[in-house]
Amino acid sequence: MPKIIYVDPDGTRHVVDAPDGTSLMQAAVANGVEGVLGECGGSAMCATCHVYVDPADGGRLPELGADEDEMLDSTASPRTTASRLSCQLTASEDLDGLVVRLPEEQI
Amino acid sequence: MSTGSAMSTGSAMSTPSATLGATVELARLWSDPYPIYRELRRREPVAWVPAANRYLVARHRDVVALERDPETFSAAERDSLMIRVMGHTMIRKDGAAHARERAAAEPPMRPRVVANHWTTLFQRTADELVDGLYDRGEADLLRDFAGPYAARNLGLVLGLPDAAPADLQEWSQAMMDATGNYVDDPTVWRRSQTAAQQVDDAIDDVLGHLRRRPDESVISAMLHATDPLSVEEIRANVKVIIGGGLNEPRDSLAVGAWALLTHPEQRAAVEADPSLWRRAFEETVRWVSPIGMYPRQTTREVVLGGTRIEAGARIGVLIGSANRDETVFADPDRFDLHRKPNSHVAFGGGPHFCLGSWLARSQVSQVAWPTLFRRLPGLQLAPEPEVELGGWVFRGVLNLPVRWTP
Ligand code: HEM
Ligand code: FES
Repeated sequence: MPKIIYVDPDGTRHVVDAPDGTSLMQAAVANGVEGVLGECGGSAMCATCHVYVDPADGGRLPELGADEDEMLDSTASPRTTASRLSCQLTASEDLDGLVVRLPEEQI
Repeated sequence: MSTGSAMSTGSAMSTPSATLGATVELARLWSDPYPIYRELRRREPVAWVPAANRYLVARHRDVVALERDPETFSAAERDSLMIRVMGHTMIRKDGAAHARERAAAEPPMRPRVVANHWTTLFQRTADELVDGLYDRGEADLLRDFAGPYAARNLGLVLGLPDAAPADLQEWSQAMMDATGNYVDDPTVWRRSQTAAQQVDDAIDDVLGHLRRRPDESVISAMLHATDPLSVEEIRANVKVIIGGGLNEPRDSLAVGAWALLTHPEQRAAVEADPSLWRRAFEETVRWVSPIGMYPRQTTREVVLGGTRIEAGARIGVLIGSANRDETVFADPDRFDLHRKPNSHVAFGGGPHFCLGSWLARSQVSQVAWPTLFRRLPGLQLAPEPEVELGGWVFRGVLNLPVRWTP
C-alpha cells in the first residue's frame, strides 16, 4: 500500500498507509491528521484540504484541474506554486513516499 | 426566528429518567443555548432531548465524525416538514439523487463567479442601501440594511431580479417557520402555502426567458446543466435556497457588525488591515453560528460519542455547540478574530456542505462590512434599545440600533 508522509507546520510527520484509489484528503482524515479538514467531503468546494507538495515531487502528480485551480485562489493559508487540493489527488503506487506539507490553517 | 420554539413536541417531563437531556427546555435554548451546550458537552455529549424529540450532538469531534459518515447519518429525514412546505429539495436527499441536483445548482456559487461577477453587484446593492440611509444618521442595521441587502443579493443570484426584497424576506420567513411547525398551527401552513405559490409564480415568470438566454444565475444553471433539473425540481430547490440563503448572511452580517462595534481593538485592527475582514467573518460564524442545529436521521444502530443510538433515530447536529467546544477553541465564548486556526463547522460538512459559503463570505466580509465601516463616519452602537439575541436552530441579533455622523 502506498505510504504518504504528511508534515505539520511544526515539523511533526505522520506516515499514513493510503489505500489505492482513496484521495489524499480521505487518507489524512481517516488517520487523524488534523491539519486536513476536508469539509465538503471531496467535491472541490471548500478549500479546507489545502496541502503543499514539494516542486521536486510535483512531477508525480496529475495537472491542476480547473475546479482545483479556482478553489486554490480561496485558501486560508497562502497559495504557492506547491499548492494542491488533497481531495483531488488519488493514492497509487506512483505516489508511494510522497511528502505533503500541511498549511497553518484551512479556514 | 421562531423556528426554535416551534419545535416543541412535548414537555421535558415525559421521560422518567433523570438525564440532563430530559431537563433541556426549548425556551431556555432559544434565549441562550450556550450554558446548556457547555453542560451537555461536559456531561452528556450525545443526549436524548425529549423537548426536541431528538438526540442532540454537542461536541466538535462527534459532529465532525458524523459529518464524515453520511451513509449512517442520512439527510432524508422521515415525515420531513420541509418536504411538505417546499417539495423534495436537495437538502433532504442522499447519495446520487442529491449529487445530481447539487451539481446543477453549484456553478454560479463557485468562488470565481462570485469574485468576477456577483461581488460587483453586491457592492451596488450595498451602496444603494447606504445612499438611502445616509442622511438619517441612525438606523437599525438588521432591519434597514442586513435584511434587504441579503434579500436583494439572493434575488440576483437566483435569477429573480424583479422580486422585491420585502417579498423574498416574507417568503423565506414564512417557509422556514413552517418547516418548524410541529404544533400544526393552520395559520403557519396558510402563510407558507401563499409564499410557496408566489415563489412558483416568480419562477414561472423567468423560465421562458432564461431558457432562451442563459445567464450567471442559479435558475439558469439548473435549466442548462449537463443533466438539467425539471421544473418541479427547480421549484423545490429555489425554495430551499430562499429559505437557507437569506437569514444566514443577514444574521452573520449583523452579528459581526455588532461584535466589531463592541470590540474596539478588533475593529481598529480590521479597519487598518483589510485582509482581516475574512478572519472576522470566520470568527463571527463560529461565535454565533447562524445555523445552530441541523437534522439527520440514523440508517442503522450506531455508537456516537459513547452513546448507543438506535436505527431510525432523529438527530440534531449542534454546530452552534461544536463551535464553542473548549477542547478545540481556547476561551470559546470570546469573540477573537485573531484565532488561529479556526476550524469551525458553521457551514456543515460532507455532501451537504453549504453551497453558498463563498457567496456569503463575499457579501458579508468583502462588501457589506467594509462599505458600512468606511461610508458611515463615526459608526457606533446607539445607547438604546439594548441589542437582543435569540434562537438556537437559527441564531442572531434581533435588532441592531446604530448611529453615525452624516
Ligand atoms: C453565513 C451564511 C451561511 C451559513 C452559516 C450557512 C450554513 C449552512 C449549513 C450549516 C448547511 C448544511 C445544512 C445541512 O447539512 O443540513 C448549509 C447548506 C446549504 N446552504 Fe448555506 N449557509 C449560509 C449561506 C448560504 C447562502 C448565501 C446560500 C445560497 C445563496 C446557501 C445555500 C445553501 C444550500 C443550497 C445548502 C444545501 C446544500 C446541499 O444540500 O447540498 N447558504 N448552509
Ligand atoms: S475536501 Fe473540500 S475542497 Fe477538498
